[in-house]
Amino acid sequence: MMKYLKLHTIFIKQDLKKLMEYKVDFLLGAVGFVLTQAVQILCLGIIFAAIPALCYTENGVVVDSWTFHEVLFIYGFSLIPKGIDHLLFDNLWGLGYWIVDKGDFDKYLTRPVNSWFYVLCEKFCVDAFGDLIVGIALIIYSLCAMPSDIAGAINWLRVIPVLVVMPFAIMIFTSIKTATAAISFWTKRSGHITHMCYMTNEFAKYPTKIYNTVVKTLITYILPFALTAYYPAIYILRGESFWSLPVTIFVSLTLFGISQLIWHRGISAYESAGS
Amino acid sequence: MTKLIRIYKPFTRAGILEMITYRVNFLFFLLGEIMKCFVMFFVWKAVFDSSDSSTVYGFTYDNMVVYLFITFLSGYLTYSDGSYVIGKEILDGSIAMRMIKPVDFDMCFLFQELGTKIMQFLMIFLPITAGVEIYRWIVNGTPMLDFVMLLLFLFSMLLAYGINFFFNLSYGFLAFYLKNLWGTDIIKGVIVDFLSGATVPLAFMGVFGQVLSYLPFASLSYTPVMIYMGMYSFKEIVFYLGLQIVWLCVFVLISKLILRSAMKRLVVHGG
Repeated sequence: MMKYLKLHTIFIKQDLKKLMEYKVDFLLGAVGFVLTQAVQILCLGIIFAAIPALCYTENGVVVDSWTFHEVLFIYGFSLIPKGIDHLLFDNLWGLGYWIVDKGDFDKYLTRPVNSWFYVLCEKFCVDAFGDLIVGIALIIYSLCAMPSDIAGAINWLRVIPVLVVMPFAIMIFTSIKTATAAISFWTKRSGHITHMCYMTNEFAKYPTKIYNTVVKTLITYILPFALTAYYPAIYILRGESFWSLPVTIFVSLTLFGISQLIWHRGISAYESAGS
Repeated sequence: MTKLIRIYKPFTRAGILEMITYRVNFLFFLLGEIMKCFVMFFVWKAVFDSSDSSTVYGFTYDNMVVYLFITFLSGYLTYSDGSYVIGKEILDGSIAMRMIKPVDFDMCFLFQELGTKIMQFLMIFLPITAGVEIYRWIVNGTPMLDFVMLLLFLFSMLLAYGINFFFNLSYGFLAFYLKNLWGTDIIKGVIVDFLSGATVPLAFMGVFGQVLSYLPFASLSYTPVMIYMGMYSFKEIVFYLGLQIVWLCVFVLISKLILRSAMKRLVVHGG
């Protein structure tokens, strides 16, 4: 374990050196990510200008509603686990898109470390700072701008269990990426499948209750991105859905197991491409 | 004209074959992208449920649904990859191989991409418009499809693709100067999406939106979508189609100018 931590630190240092070499590239990438989020938030602002609060209604009766600032908080929170996964484990995208396809995967099998770990930590993706900065800024802004009766009702002790669950939330992203990237061991390319599953996380940025049963089930149990965003965020805000925290740990560990299984099966089925 | 088609037909063929080879990848990618439409489909539903009136900025909920999916469709079909492909060739120097051949550099790209566009059109146009029309039919009780509008929509989309292609070509040539692709490409995408009304209809932005509708960005996706939805009167349709043609000519000209000056700067190492 210590050996792996040390290795990861070395890799991160290498990437930071690269970063110093290509400062402009890094800056432009991060600016791009910040802008993407900024425009989406601007649009949210335009949408919310027309309504007092986002409501979920059943047969015309308002069941639940979220103010603009609460939605911003949920949105900002959703970017944190996603951003950390993006920062540390981005290389899995490369696996599905080109590493296996070009026959570069052999390299990982010839080194005396776990191949999954090696792929995972080879790249330290600093573009993710765009997501993280926006996420943190949104959380801080929404908390400050919230009407005091909502902000005052927040029990800050609730942050502790959420922080405990956070690594598991991150692992949900990593496991889904691992499982779908590993499909490339059979098909040579699977980046598009990763993309399809990953985009499901767009649903998680908004209150889960507004979706129909199909989507709700999908993002809570199958590709459980709601567990990384809406549920923990609303738990901090209102103390609702505490049940989701143990479920996150359970689901995350299950997904991790499945993804490792697929990975190992994939490695045994793997045949190098190219000459 | 026939000579032009004879010369460049193989490029179109290559584009079609490429698309056929990667059709599964394309469909998966598409499924991922269309997810965003469904997210907004539910968000707008909640927004309309929360609003006291049945219209928001003059759009009803089913207007909004049609807008979402048709914008997605036209955005996808008129999207041009030129800036990235050309930028990459400039940076790795493979552009030199294109320049020594007796064909026009930009025409190669155009005809090759047209090939992929034909395949994409065949794969996604029918399912999405059919879905939208069935939805409109159920909501309104009568079929809403207007064939004249559909033809005008297709024509407007063709113009939009042309503008997009030459705009991206011009942008791709910037790689001669910028030497960065990925970051600048993301930035460009975001700005264009916003200014073209792909994220929120320009009608929601008041006067600012009115101004934006004259810019070339609106010609990229807003104009065809508004035509499809029947939001424009006959006079407006003629005006905005004319505007699209003007912007097309402007960008063809700009791309030629940039290409001419950029070629003088081009340095290719090795080879």
